[in-house]
Amino acid sequence: MSAIDHYINAIIVRGMAEARDDGSSAVEAHHLLMGIAAHEGTAAHRVLAAAGLGPEAVRRALDREFEHSLSTVGVSPAAYDLPRPTPDPKRSLKLGASARLALDRAFAAATGKRDLRPAHLLMGVLEAEVGTVPRALALAGLDRTELHTRARATLATETW
Amino acid sequence: MPAEDPIVPQDPADALAAVAALRRLADRLEDAAVEQAMRAGWSWPDVAEALGVTRQAVHKKHAPRLTAAGVALRRRR
Repeated sequence: MSAIDHYINAIIVRGMAEARDDGSSAVEAHHLLMGIAAHEGTAAHRVLAAAGLGPEAVRRALDREFEHSLSTVGVSPAAYDLPRPTPDPKRSLKLGASARLALDRAFAAATGKRDLRPAHLLMGVLEAEVGTVPRALALAGLDRTELHTRARATLATETW
Repeated sequence: MPAEDPIVPQDPADALAAVAALRRLADRLEDAAVEQAMRAGWSWPDVAEALGVTRQAVHKKHAPRLTAAGVALRRRR
């Protein structure tokens, strides 16, 4: 496997762990964003870190989006107080539609597989104009298109 | 006391995001509620009937997790 294959595998594995942990039945684009934010040593990670988006900040932004979206229909997750369920370490998780779309967009942004780098993966996640990721970034006061532009700018100057 | 105004999201993006968030909340709630019931000694058929799903579906989805967590599962009523 090439370095980019290992990278994609690593962010999907991390995304799966996040999805399992939050009780999701599929890995979605926002779980991949967590994976990208957690994987150090890449231009994608540097762009996110420069915007203050470490893994914890991404998680907080996603939690806030979740609570905000529920509040628009009058639901408070804090009102639900059952004990936290035991996660299933073996539950198999599908790659959800938003994650597949992000990967497709990442591949489309690169000029062939040999050109594909972590920054393309971040660009793929950031290209979504609707959905959980853009809403979470907006609520955190971040400019999604600016982040996308910065990720793209790294392609000319950084090799990984 | 006046009745509260009903909450209606004005932005379609909010309404759609609320649907996605409610599905996630329902998934979490199901995990927690099934675990709570099984710890309290409920049977699979009763849990399935209460959820409105088949016994096979609820068992397949939750039994491995609860077995791994050491919850004593009742085989029969």
